[in-house]
Amino acid sequence: MEEISGEEVLNISVCVVVSNLSILQCIQSIIGEESYRQDTVNQWTAKIVEQALTLLVKQTKSYKYIVSCAVMQKSGAGLHTANSCYWDTVTDGSCTVKWENRTMYCVVSVFAVSLTP
Amino acid sequence: MDEFQLSEETAFVVDDITTIIKDVSICTTIGSSAYQQNRINQWTSSVVETSLSQLSKLGKPFKYIVTCIILQKNGAGLHTASSCFWDNTMDRSCMVRWENKTTYCIVCVFGLAV
Repeated sequence: MEEISGEEVLNISVCVVVSNLSILQCIQSIIGEESYRQDTVNQWTAKIVEQALTLLVKQTKSYKYIVSCAVMQKSGAGLHTANSCYWDTVTDGSCTVKWENRTMYCVVSVFAVSLTP
Repeated sequence: MDEFQLSEETAFVVDDITTIIKDVSICTTIGSSAYQQNRINQWTSSVVETSLSQLSKLGKPFKYIVTCIILQKNGAGLHTASSCFWDNTMDRSCMVRWENKTTYCIVCVFGLAV
């Protein structure tokens, strides 16, 4: 009986755990001390996704990655996000990181799709 | 003629997907309803699930990731960005923005060729 290799499953779990920590640090280093500013928020979201992607690709290149980031000003508005994925549940995975400071929320989602069939 | 048909059937067609998301998923789920905190969970889930089932019915050789953001209109600023490490020749994404009087809805579809 062919089974999924333990290593493949471990790889995804390790990626998820490491991603969580790395991405939090990444967000903290870019917008940690900042207050929401309309004229710079564009640059922040771009930097966050680029740095997060670079971190992930450095860890392992045997996945395709998608990183998405949303930054919202804290003003009492309601915000909800949802993801759904049509993929191979054994080899592919995702993680979502939520962060906030006094003036804004940041939600980063990482999706990893295996390159090996 | 056959080759053209084959590439049509296996390509990620942004216009078709945009129509599916707007008309089938978002309009039927939210439509003209006002933003309601107690229903918002159902809306986001319903939008992503409906979108995904419509996309999988297309029968194309793609893995799909659908993300949905629903935001109440009250003046708050929202910015989103995404970056992808993938096969530039085959993989595609499309983003659909929709709004009614009280709600913004942003749906992003990523298609990764299998």
